Amino acid sequence: MRNPKLLIGGLLFLGLLIFALAGPTIAKSRTKLKDPLQISAYTPYQAVSDEIPIGSDQLGRDAMAVFLYGMRLSLGVGFVAGIVGTLLGVLVGFVAGFVGGNTDTILRVLTDMFLVVPTLPLLMVLSISVDKWDLLTIGLLLGLFSWPFVARTVRAQVFSLSQRPFVDLARLNNENSLEIIVQELIPGLLPYIFLSVSGAAVGAMLAEAGLQILGIGSGNLATLGYLMAKAMGAGALGGGFAGQVLLPAGYLTLTFLCLNLINMGLDEQFNPRLQTTAHGE
Amino acid sequence: MKNEEKPEEKSFRSRLQRYRPLARYLGNRFGVYLFTLWASLSLAFILFRFMPGNPMAMSVTQLQSNAGLIVGADKAAEYYREKMGLNEPLHIQYLKFLKNMIFGPFDFGHSFVKYPTPVNEVIGRYLPWTLGLFTTSVILAWILGTAIGALLGWMRRSRFASWAIVLTTLINITPIYVLAVFLLLGLSYKLGWLPSGRPYDAQMMPSWKWPFIKSVLIHAILPVGTMVLVWSSGWILGMRSLMVSVLGEDYLAYARAKGLSPLTILKEYAFRNALLPQVAGLAIVLGMSLNGAYIIEIIFRIPGLGTLFANAAALRDFNTMMGLLVFSAFTVLTGSLIVDLAMPLFDPRIRRSDA
Repeated sequence: MRNPKLLIGGLLFLGLLIFALAGPTIAKSRTKLKDPLQISAYTPYQAVSDEIPIGSDQLGRDAMAVFLYGMRLSLGVGFVAGIVGTLLGVLVGFVAGFVGGNTDTILRVLTDMFLVVPTLPLLMVLSISVDKWDLLTIGLLLGLFSWPFVARTVRAQVFSLSQRPFVDLARLNNENSLEIIVQELIPGLLPYIFLSVSGAAVGAMLAEAGLQILGIGSGNLATLGYLMAKAMGAGALGGGFAGQVLLPAGYLTLTFLCLNLINMGLDEQFNPRLQTTAHGE
Repeated sequence: MKNEEKPEEKSFRSRLQRYRPLARYLGNRFGVYLFTLWASLSLAFILFRFMPGNPMAMSVTQLQSNAGLIVGADKAAEYYREKMGLNEPLHIQYLKFLKNMIFGPFDFGHSFVKYPTPVNEVIGRYLPWTLGLFTTSVILAWILGTAIGALLGWMRRSRFASWAIVLTTLINITPIYVLAVFLLLGLSYKLGWLPSGRPYDAQMMPSWKWPFIKSVLIHAILPVGTMVLVWSSGWILGMRSLMVSVLGEDYLAYARAKGLSPLTILKEYAFRNALLPQVAGLAIVLGMSLNGAYIIEIIFRIPGLGTLFANAAALRDFNTMMGLLVFSAFTVLTGSLIVDLAMPLFDPRIRRSDA
């Protein structure tokens, strides 16, 4: 990998991922409690001490343990939503770009509609009707709203790829549509597909924390957004519990930074237009 | 077409002919607007009718836990079902809903929680805050971002510009609520420069007098500042890369070769062409900005639509939520329609194209 952005972003992200996966183990090793997430182990919002470095949350749990467990959940929500959103977006974008004509027009209007309508109110309504607030449901729900951007990029790419001479050549060689899609188009799309997964994941993680701040969510899925939102609601900023907000906020921001770095790196590596501007100056 | 025009041909008809592309563009755009609006209305209707878990049952439970009303709760629910027309066939309900939307206009019935008050009135009370803060921030962010982005694109080779871009990228990827928290913590709690957590001074009563307006303005600095900071960073990055790619075009080399002054090139050649996607982008970004504005309202405790939505969601006030859902869609769609209708002012190709 020659691209420094891709390298730094990838390595940092790997570090964050390992930290998230190791979170529960770390939490267990630094407490005497049997279950690090034990409710009412402390009084709610108990002052910061050596034992609980960022205080306790509103259920009397060690907030540090909630944070250590929450990283995994937040990344998980992003991952599920990223995959779902990308699958949907690639499907819509692919059909629109490859079939063209009226199908394209209809799908494009649909995509534009979803792009414009504010999604947060819609998500709020949908999520209060969810009776089982777990990782998969919430990831799925958020994924359903993150496909329009993916569909747009993929459509443009498929459209431009399918106009290239090598696709004409494949047609002349009597390859059928499926062969053309698998052999000629998908390889060119791969970087964009990865780009969409991380883009949709970032969007979903942002939205999940946003929903939590708006007061929708449950303790069943104590993500970083949950910890942050509950602490903020309880006036943690002025009350000496800033760590409960800053730590999850910092982790989320760092994750977004890495994913964005990776995306920018991929874009530079694979987008020929950017290459010409970078070297042609 | 412009070159072929001869004075005697400037009849009414030919003049009309010139505006045909414009009329087609405007007609198309308005058609899509109406369709999208209808689709979001229908979506709102479907969502609330097919929602898992009966909204009415939830409200009754809510009522019971709040007021301790246990005797006759079923009867009360039945009364409201009948009154709100929930016992009628679905297609009649849908038609009535559309009728209330169009001729009401936007009649969502009564708020569950603030019972006899109509939803419209409740929304009307919270609306000015959202409209004021959100509109100001969107416009300020766009103007600032476009101007700064153009300048950074213009001085693309300077060291200052590349550092500014790194900083802007950092701000751009920071979630809006994280930035809000940092600014709140720093400027308000630590330094005490700006007030926080209230839309205006606690002792004041809303009025149109100067002390109150001043208080509102001072309290608005942090929320508006946060939104402008985050949103303008996106516009800066977009405008900068547009400028850089426009500056590499052949017609700019031609303009330079003609010996035009750098200011003319910047204003008439580069800026004007890079501006178009920025204007078009505004229409798309409005929806996402509203999402951010709702979150900002909660963090800064501003009594706007986001706060109302959060309250309505917590109390399961379904009529109010439906009203807010439709209203948010309506605001954003109308906003982006206005932006798109203004496009011909910036892009002469839409006004008179031969295609």
